[in-house]
Amino acid sequence: MAVTRVEVTPKQGEGMRDVRGDVIRRQLKADHNIDVGEVRSINGFLIKSNTEKADIASRVNDLFADPIIEDALTDELFLTSSEHFPTTPDAVITIGFKPGVTDNPGSAAYDGFQTIFPQPDLVDASISTYHTYAFFGLPETITTEWLASTLHNNLIQRAVLADSTACSNAQWPAIDYPEKPPQTLTPPQRMDLEISDEALLSLSDTGLLALNLEEMQTIQAHYRDETIRQSRASVGIVPDAPTDVELECLAQTWSEHCKHKIFASKIHHIDSETGEDTYIDSIFKTHIMKPTHDLQKEVDWLLSVFHDNSGVIAWNEEWSVCMKAETHNSPSALDPYGGAMTGIVGVNRDILGTGLGARPIANTDVFCFGPPNWDGELPDNLFHPSRVFRGVHAGVRVGGNESGIPTVNGAIVFDDRYIGKPLVYCGTVGIMPRKLPDGRESHIKTPTAGDVVYMVGGRVGYDGIHGATFSSLELTEESPSSAVQIGDPITQKKMLDMVLEARDAGLISCITDNGAGGLSSSIGEMAEYTNGCEIDLEKVPLKQPGLSAWEILVSESQERMTIAVRPEDCAAFDAMAALHEVEATPVATFTNTGMFHVKYGEDTVAYLSIEFLHDGVPQLQLESEWRTPTPEQFNPESIQLPQEGHSELLLRMLARPNIASKESWVRQYDHEVIAQTAVKPFVGVHRDGPGDAGVIAPLHGDPHGLVISCGIAPRYSDLDAGAMAAASIDEAVRNAVCAGINVDKMAGLDNFCWPDSIESAKTPDGKFKLAQLVRANRELERVCRAYKLPCVSGKDSMKNDYGTGENKISIPPTLLYSVFGDQPDVRFTATSDFKNPGEKIYLIGESKEELGASEIAFMLHESGEAAGIGGQVPLLPNPERNLTTYRALSTAIQAGLIRTAHDCSEGGVAVAAAEMCIGGRVGAEIDIDGTGESSDWSRLWGESLGRFIVGVQPEDEADFVEWMSGHPITLLGTVNDSDKLSIVDGYDTLIEAATDSMVDAWQKTLDMTGGVA
Amino acid sequence: MTAPKVAVLFGFGINCDHETAAVFNLVGGDAERIHVNHFVSGNRVLEEFEILAVPGGFSFGDHLGSGRLMGNRMRFALREQLHAFVAAGKPIIGICNGFQVLVKTGLLPGPSADQPLPDFVQRASLTLNDSGRYEDRWVTLEFDEHSPCIWTKGIQRIDCPVRHGEGKFVMPSSTDFDALAANHQLTVRYVDPATKPGQGISDQPLPFPLSPNGSMRNIAGICDATGLVFGLMPHPEAVYAKWLHPDHTRKTAPGPLDSDALGEWEGEGLQMFRNAVEYVLSKR
Repeated sequence: MAVTRVEVTPKQGEGMRDVRGDVIRRQLKADHNIDVGEVRSINGFLIKSNTEKADIASRVNDLFADPIIEDALTDELFLTSSEHFPTTPDAVITIGFKPGVTDNPGSAAYDGFQTIFPQPDLVDASISTYHTYAFFGLPETITTEWLASTLHNNLIQRAVLADSTACSNAQWPAIDYPEKPPQTLTPPQRMDLEISDEALLSLSDTGLLALNLEEMQTIQAHYRDETIRQSRASVGIVPDAPTDVELECLAQTWSEHCKHKIFASKIHHIDSETGEDTYIDSIFKTHIMKPTHDLQKEVDWLLSVFHDNSGVIAWNEEWSVCMKAETHNSPSALDPYGGAMTGIVGVNRDILGTGLGARPIANTDVFCFGPPNWDGELPDNLFHPSRVFRGVHAGVRVGGNESGIPTVNGAIVFDDRYIGKPLVYCGTVGIMPRKLPDGRESHIKTPTAGDVVYMVGGRVGYDGIHGATFSSLELTEESPSSAVQIGDPITQKKMLDMVLEARDAGLISCITDNGAGGLSSSIGEMAEYTNGCEIDLEKVPLKQPGLSAWEILVSESQERMTIAVRPEDCAAFDAMAALHEVEATPVATFTNTGMFHVKYGEDTVAYLSIEFLHDGVPQLQLESEWRTPTPEQFNPESIQLPQEGHSELLLRMLARPNIASKESWVRQYDHEVIAQTAVKPFVGVHRDGPGDAGVIAPLHGDPHGLVISCGIAPRYSDLDAGAMAAASIDEAVRNAVCAGINVDKMAGLDNFCWPDSIESAKTPDGKFKLAQLVRANRELERVCRAYKLPCVSGKDSMKNDYGTGENKISIPPTLLYSVFGDQPDVRFTATSDFKNPGEKIYLIGESKEELGASEIAFMLHESGEAAGIGGQVPLLPNPERNLTTYRALSTAIQAGLIRTAHDCSEGGVAVAAAEMCIGGRVGAEIDIDGTGESSDWSRLWGESLGRFIVGVQPEDEADFVEWMSGHPITLLGTVNDSDKLSIVDGYDTLIEAATDSMVDAWQKTLDMTGGVA
Repeated sequence: MTAPKVAVLFGFGINCDHETAAVFNLVGGDAERIHVNHFVSGNRVLEEFEILAVPGGFSFGDHLGSGRLMGNRMRFALREQLHAFVAAGKPIIGICNGFQVLVKTGLLPGPSADQPLPDFVQRASLTLNDSGRYEDRWVTLEFDEHSPCIWTKGIQRIDCPVRHGEGKFVMPSSTDFDALAANHQLTVRYVDPATKPGQGISDQPLPFPLSPNGSMRNIAGICDATGLVFGLMPHPEAVYAKWLHPDHTRKTAPGPLDSDALGEWEGEGLQMFRNAVEYVLSKR
């Protein structure tokens, strides 16, 4: 087949602009302070087809170029055209994909190409895309190689360059079609396990199986069992050893990623201070599952917890809602864009795969990165944090926006240690009718033996092999590129439209998504319902021929759902798939044989009992030992205040990346598609003040709402991971209370990201890290029980480290806690912006002497002004009492008494009040005298939990005070039109800051857009 | 009288189909979300409907230019049906990605005032925002009161969100542009909210973010010469209720919700859809 090249470039002239080129120019300025005169861009298409070049040339303006704004050339490089490029550039860089990497523009172009030139029966025809950038006025100090390295990721992309010499000789880069190397189908191998322990471990290591010795021995023992050997012989599979298909399948199913072995382990926990010496049989069952099941007995709205792809709660008589959050850390470290995009579209599929299928209606995104302005050393193979930030943000933006799901809530947190592994949390909320038209309850799957199992959506490729096992290992320089994928939101959107139609037509008996572990996990997990399945891998549609059986079974290629359909419904299901142009292929049937039976054509390639597959993994036995960290103390009394005192500290605090406005990033997410978002991420008179929680009214015409919020406080782990967990939960709940959540109908998600916490040569401090996990979970149970807050779904990611030995970087233990719950009427909610002069300002809660690990302590320690960050970390001694206060405030908001409320967390009262002035573009006079027994530093900057600042109109003040009687409230002051924030402590003025300068400080740090033009 | 039947297209990455159908239903329409391929394959026909809506979204991921691939599907497969629809005097709206689709099929701005029926020739385009970024932000819109557009009658100024990366309206021929202006087809523009209502419209490009994309003459939306086909980048359906306006917590809450209508809580965006439904009813 011939390859035809088509190039397209923006027209030059009045009112025309090469925006793609200009974005590159501005980013070089913003990220590297490099001034380039001009960057011009060319989009290229390499069309592999049987269509004549002349025919393609005659239709380029119908497909590839927009004749109003673009010029096109066929089979010629634009750079050779002096008409279009009269000046010689200083450098030219062309970037295309590596073979086999998902090329979404290429697929879309090919779809459009077929509209014009149908290519029947040509499986191999396709279009590959590339970009060329021509640089003019490039500073001489900048090498073309360096420039190229900042513009592409060599794990997934290729770059072809022309430096200034090549440019002056008109040697232009011409990238060629990325032909995939042929795959050779290897027949299933017998994997001999009758080998030494060392050899077993080495097999696990070299095969990227991520299984420990005991697990390898368990598998070894399984194949020594005579009954098993006999039953294997009867189906014609190698009797006395696993096939590679089986070993891979077990490795995926038993991976830390899928089985959560640390949360399920038996832990010997020692507390060297209290003398405690106990055993915990599964943190998950003890501290997460049990409390939630206990709560389930008290309420009637917890429909489905833990066992499905997301937790489901009843929202009203007709609708239920569900939520799930996932992390995609390792892939995002290797390819921030693709890794993050697969993260968001992946968690969307968890919602689609809940019950009989739920519709995703809102996304949340929480990221943890290294500081964007980092100028220290970077370990090999790691990207600069600003590049990780840009890539992750772009991936989530494209994934969410193109899927038509609004991003309603999130956070971005910075710490040096996230350079080693960025954390990319993606969450999705879904909605489903409680009953389907056929009467079935939609949160219950109804598979029966005999159902036909379809693979729906994308095809299986070499991409995404070993994602689950890879994410269960630490990141190294040799991490495999096949673990990186790029999502395809449009293929997924087509599938989603089709699946929801099929659900409503009653065609689905069981559904789950294909994520980690691919078909082996998705069909394997669903087969537990009927106790068996039979898969034929030969039927699975492939992106390219030649994949071996094990690769087909475990590949994590994206955009796929596994759906069971009753045989009598298959014809209707096929027709629906055809209408939506979605590929749906029957690849298996459910059985009740007790076996996970995998064939390739006629040959059995895997034959494992469902029981062994799912319950055969031995429980880990782990050691945990707590000792209290003793960092240098943060002592305010020894701090030399800068010249402008606390006013200067306030402006510095507002500019801290952890506090600064993320608006320029967040505004690039669609946060109101579906026309339901009643409180948006940014609020206030100029819509640039911080929102505390997302509020949506998902039924059009009905103000009944849902609140979605989150909390995250990793700094506190430096002192006590238990306090970190309590603070995260409290923050999430407080944020939701600010929006008027019904505190008696809210649910939570726990997403743990931890460094490796299994003691070993690689991790000598494993016992301590495990003790941090124990403490975090104990606090999680204590606080959630007190708040009557069931954890309905969660996830853990337990290997967030980079490298080994002295250079090892471990992330701070991090819990993201998300809350979603009922909001009775979105017309009665509150936002953080002060509304008008005269509004009365109250503090709810008390400021205690709790400056340990606070943002101010970190700031002054990093600048050398304070010796350390140690001290009392914020605690939550009486959460039951907090809940009654939260209920009082939330109902005051629902009653319309309070329209202004803001959670008080990072940076304490000073920062919260500043943010409220920014949102309202007003001033305020605040007196922190009487807000607690603690020092002025603590009352100003301390991060004591359980606190809010609220605004109340003077005419409602008496009602409000009565409403809140019995709860800790203190009058702080009044909003005024002075355009400055004054904070005094009795007779001492602590802060005087102009609102404009606060806006400026808050907005500048993270605006990395490089401006508008 | 039976409610006018509204076809709300979906499929291939259109994603505002649910709310677009909902707002038509809120103003007395009878909206059906219908997959594009039903019309392409011929098992349904456009003729069944009295109003056609092409909602926002990312059809085909906006690869090769926003709205282009969907525009091609419609231009090649639905040409006769679309022509007949306009010729029969039935209204069409394209919102955001739908506007991009209508521009790229050539339905907007369409041929001249003396030959108003579709000829499917592209005369304008919507391209990348000057900022280079996709953004979701609220803008203020003002409408040409003399526009023949049946969708915008009686609407002077509203706030709306824009949610796009390719919303910059370009039309290279100033002669064509002037002809549209003379015929009042430049229906809706981005304006500075500080101006007096009725006096905001200007041909001078406004700075970002008042104009979110750098559109020529601050164009937010245009209609064809018949006034039946209308497209705009902002999302009027996203402000069907006051509680969706970002200022709603800054205002005193209006009265209670009527049991079967939004009452005082109706948002500024809904009138556009009501206009079309009432127009259809008036022509029966």
